Amino acid sequence: MPRSLFEKIWDAHVVEELPGGNALVFVDRVVAHEITTPQGALDIERNYGDKLFDPARIVALNDHVSPAKDSETAIQAKVLRDWAKRHGIVLYDIGQNGICHVVAPERGYVEPGITLACGDSHTCTNGAFGAFALGIGTTAQAGAMLAGCLVLQRPKVMKVTVEGRLAHGATAKDLALFVIATLGFKGGTGYVLEYDGSTIDSLSMDERMTLCNMAIEAGATTGLCPPDETTFSYLRGRQNQPTGDEFEAKVSAWRALRADPGAVYDREVTLDVSGLRPLVSWGTNPGEVVPVDGTVPADADPASLAYMGLEAGTPLRSLAIDQAFIGSCTNSRLSDLHAAAEVLRGRTVAVPTIVTPGSQAVRRAAEREGLHDVFQDAGALWTHSSCGPCLGMSMGVLAPGSRCVSSSNRNFPGRMGAGGRVHLASPAVVAASAVLGRIAAPEELAAVAVGGAS
Amino acid sequence: MKHDGAVLPVDKANVDTDQIIPAHHLTGVETTGLGKHLFTGMSGGTALLEAYPGASIVVARENFGCGSSREHAAWALLDRGFRAVIAPSFARIFLENAYNNGVAPIVVEAAEIDALLASKRLTIDLDAETVTREDGTVLRFTLDPLRKAFLLSGGYMSFMASRVEAVRSWLAARNATPVGS
Repeated sequence: MPRSLFEKIWDAHVVEELPGGNALVFVDRVVAHEITTPQGALDIERNYGDKLFDPARIVALNDHVSPAKDSETAIQAKVLRDWAKRHGIVLYDIGQNGICHVVAPERGYVEPGITLACGDSHTCTNGAFGAFALGIGTTAQAGAMLAGCLVLQRPKVMKVTVEGRLAHGATAKDLALFVIATLGFKGGTGYVLEYDGSTIDSLSMDERMTLCNMAIEAGATTGLCPPDETTFSYLRGRQNQPTGDEFEAKVSAWRALRADPGAVYDREVTLDVSGLRPLVSWGTNPGEVVPVDGTVPADADPASLAYMGLEAGTPLRSLAIDQAFIGSCTNSRLSDLHAAAEVLRGRTVAVPTIVTPGSQAVRRAAEREGLHDVFQDAGALWTHSSCGPCLGMSMGVLAPGSRCVSSSNRNFPGRMGAGGRVHLASPAVVAASAVLGRIAAPEELAAVAVGGAS
Repeated sequence: MKHDGAVLPVDKANVDTDQIIPAHHLTGVETTGLGKHLFTGMSGGTALLEAYPGASIVVARENFGCGSSREHAAWALLDRGFRAVIAPSFARIFLENAYNNGVAPIVVEAAEIDALLASKRLTIDLDAETVTREDGTVLRFTLDPLRKAFLLSGGYMSFMASRVEAVRSWLAARNATPVGS
């Protein structure tokens, strides 16, 4: 019986079939951060003898508010820190940390064929490696820390074939938004999105992570890219991976992690992206997008319009912005910073602009290339790595009614601050918008002399 | 287990977890005391709660609980006295979190929601899997049989604890381990 890639990974991890179509599924890797881990860690400490299934399978990070902003977040970080130390769990903390979905892959903890869970919805990012990676709640994470498993309903599998070359300034972010717009904001609910096609094959690991990162925004359990030479090259020589013959033996095994010809899917969707242009969200969910030179749709949801302070027919490019943000687990890797820097080099931002690298390693790599000078010469704020303004939890919170163009993943009401209005876009579009002080496409800057926006 | 309670009508689709409890309230390490933040991220949320004091059953439209994995959404509902959410559909992670915290996630047909939103009180029978309106109309729903047990007994973690040795045996038998372990 031919199997999908997802089925191969699933089958290799089912410990026990359970009633009601559930299964006890083994978790190879748990990623644990300070917002959703302490409650479960304390539960295990108080009620289950402080015993963990295997501390070596856990990677802990202080990432959401790090360094702490107040006593409460300091306590969260301390609980995680003390717990990691007590159990000998590797911890990425102030100075070496960053967003968990950026740090775990760059440190070599994510590889084809594994299962990975974290109390964070954007864990689907790691599906870029051909891993089954999913976000879960605190209790489910605690269960995985205690017993090495999750209880899961077997998800359906949707094959999403993407063909055509990304051109016209369209990026992996635009592809991610296009997928959500096509499937609908909840159209992926109950499914794993198993990507396939020449476009996916052509994407870098950074781009695949951007794509898979937003699978949750279509409601999907996760996204999944078939591992290939791009994946293996990324992992070869990486920290926490073996070297030499041992690594190549793993590659040989990983090569089998492809869907069999004739594999049957619950649903199949084919997308042609050759005509795709940069997209910008206008509404309050990531499926509400139009091309950057488009207008707010005539059939727009009135509640979304009211929250965003918009009317149907309004050109997106006419919207003045109050802030720009480049960062988040969607778009904060080195290639994202390259894209933003290419736009900002020699230009000046017109609105407060925050650039937050996804990890301290990304930050250092960017600084070795001088990107921090590009951003700061343009007048942007270059911050330490963290989740940053994306979720309105620490820095960069929006005032009510303020409009922000953001390379992050959620434009929900209040996401970046009560009453704040978020427009999602690629790093290049965010950078161009920052320069012109309104939603803008990078090509509009051809008319703006390098050296100033005026 | 039967629950007779007053309805909080949340006449919205896609009530995401940022609306249920905004991220700036996720700064604790305990699961209790979060009820005061419930629906503070939703336009009109606080006024709605005040207009329906003592409500213990949320009725909402499709895709309730979408967005973040924060279990704080379920903890805040529970702390505020809610025992069930009735909607045509739920986001996966919220659904799991609700089950694991004794907040029954009850899926009914979208066509039933208008009448449920208009109901003052409902009686939910989790064993029989029925919702009864005040006029006696009975709606049937289906719970995941395994998670129903977690819901009724709060037993997710004790179930997981009971599987540890079986998992260790399975792992020992797993011949080719893809993870670098």
